[in-house]
Amino acid sequence: MAERVKTYLLELCCVFTFVSVVGAIVNIICGTQTNNLNVLVMFATCAIATFVLFLHRLFDNVSPLVMIIVQYLVACALVGLMLWIVSTVVSPITPRGWFEFYRSFTIPYIFLAGFYYYRVFSETKKQDKLIREIQEKKK
Amino acid sequence: MKLNLYEDKNISSEHVDIYYTNMRPVIRQLVDTVNSERPALPGRPADEDLDDGEEVLLDPKEIYYLDHIDRKLFAYTKNGVFRLMNTLASCEEVLWNYGFVRVSKSNIVNIYKIKQLKPDLNMKVYAYFDNGEKICINRSYKKSFSEYLQRMRRIG
Repeated sequence: MAERVKTYLLELCCVFTFVSVVGAIVNIICGTQTNNLNVLVMFATCAIATFVLFLHRLFDNVSPLVMIIVQYLVACALVGLMLWIVSTVVSPITPRGWFEFYRSFTIPYIFLAGFYYYRVFSETKKQDKLIREIQEKKK
Repeated sequence: MKLNLYEDKNISSEHVDIYYTNMRPVIRQLVDTVNSERPALPGRPADEDLDDGEEVLLDPKEIYYLDHIDRKLFAYTKNGVFRLMNTLASCEEVLWNYGFVRVSKSNIVNIYKIKQLKPDLNMKVYAYFDNGEKICINRSYKKSFSEYLQRMRRIG
């Protein structure tokens, strides 16, 4: 368990560093600025995303499609909880704010899921070709 | 591979010479056969009582896949299903050179018997065999499966 937590924290650090650096570059290019709350929300989002992706080891016996859907639903629930906490503790979030936040993580999620789907098919095709090649060599 | 057979009634001891460029699995198999070390798995027909069924020696090249169910190991061949008394891990160790690779916790498949590798719509990847059966390639074993194929291509 301790090993898993350690791995999770390590991955979270890498993800957050990457996202922070990309965010800083985008801010420099666009001339925009961020604030402390945005940084904290970004950290919480990274923590949720890393946690959700970390769950894939629990889904070894189910199909990848089910895994992707369950992970998305878990991410939705955790993001909802995070937004509710921010809305209650810090400042209220408008319905438009909720919609924008969900949209901003749903679009890349669908894109990445589609990429994963494509990879499964292309890798299988490649492996199938490899098997044909090995079988031909043996004849 | 070119094969020359010489019949000589006068030789005192029969022998086999093998000329090869590198020790590929097929050469290894020939050597094992000559040395009578080619693995043969003892098994009994799965539909018979263990004590009554006649023991047969299964040639690895006849086996489609091995399946471990309820702590019992079965070999699926064209001629039927046979129960083996080995463990899945020991079979994996013995048969790795003969095209057998682990694809899940309970399955080892013979890549020479795979007819097609195909994913279904829910992204599970299946190996289809000549006998119409299919085995799921588990996600956890995807990488080692891929590495095994690469290695077999390199040395094959």
